[in-house]
Amino acid sequence: MPVFRWGNAWDAFRDLEREVDRLMGSMDFTLQGVRLGRTFPAVNLYEYDDHYLLTSELPGMKKSDLDLSIAQGILTLKGNRTADDVPDSSYRRSERYRGQWQRSLNLPDRVMEEGLKAELTNGILKITLPKAPEVTPRQIPIQEGGE
Amino acid sequence: MNNELVPQNNPEQSLPSPGDSSEQRLMFTPPIDIYESEEGLVLVADLPGVTLENLELQVQDNKLTLFGRVNRYVPEGLMGQHEEYGVGDFLRSFILSDEVDHERISAKLNHGVLRVILPKASRGEPRKINIDEGE
Repeated sequence: MPVFRWGNAWDAFRDLEREVDRLMGSMDFTLQGVRLGRTFPAVNLYEYDDHYLLTSELPGMKKSDLDLSIAQGILTLKGNRTADDVPDSSYRRSERYRGQWQRSLNLPDRVMEEGLKAELTNGILKITLPKAPEVTPRQIPIQEGGE
Repeated sequence: MNNELVPQNNPEQSLPSPGDSSEQRLMFTPPIDIYESEEGLVLVADLPGVTLENLELQVQDNKLTLFGRVNRYVPEGLMGQHEEYGVGDFLRSFILSDEVDHERISAKLNHGVLRVILPKASRGEPRKINIDEGE
């Protein structure tokens, strides 16, 4: 009769794995309030009666640094955030995002792409997306099937 | 280790009193860069949504505090369908050393990015101290 069985040994590992996962999941690694290491740029979407409002924090971005496009219900924001022209060795601290970034967002359905408006002020991007008028449900006539 | 400018992680300090205290406001610590340049140390902070009127930059004793108010630009009480960030004010403070010339600190705000230039204090010429001969 085997004293050591692999099957049970792995079970113990699985238990450990689960335990570690649980522990990690319960921990909050983010420094409270510090906006570090997040997806850049962060995006919010709000729904109004007749439109959606998409906002994004893009500090330091100018209109010319930003590229917006929309196709097949996907809105793509693209840009490049250049750092100040100083050698890396001069940095004492570097928390701000730099470099190329891109985000593609699935738009809620029924948005009028032509009516889209965007404005960028003080590093905040606001995009207004008008909702398409509600389509009235179409009745499908049902014919009685013959014998 | 250089310590002319030491960022503090203390958002729970006494906040500049907002106009309407009944209003619940969020406070965030903005990400910053600090680098050395010919002009001195440069502090760069991301303050999206902060305008010049709503930005306070203060040096008191050896503490530099930046506080930027963000006017709410999203609907009150309406939860976002999808929210990745909260809209609130920005606060961060730093300890300055005597190496920084407190009088010549200058700042610029551009597209929601603040740049503060902290020139190094010029070291005075060595002064000769006269020694009187004792009796």
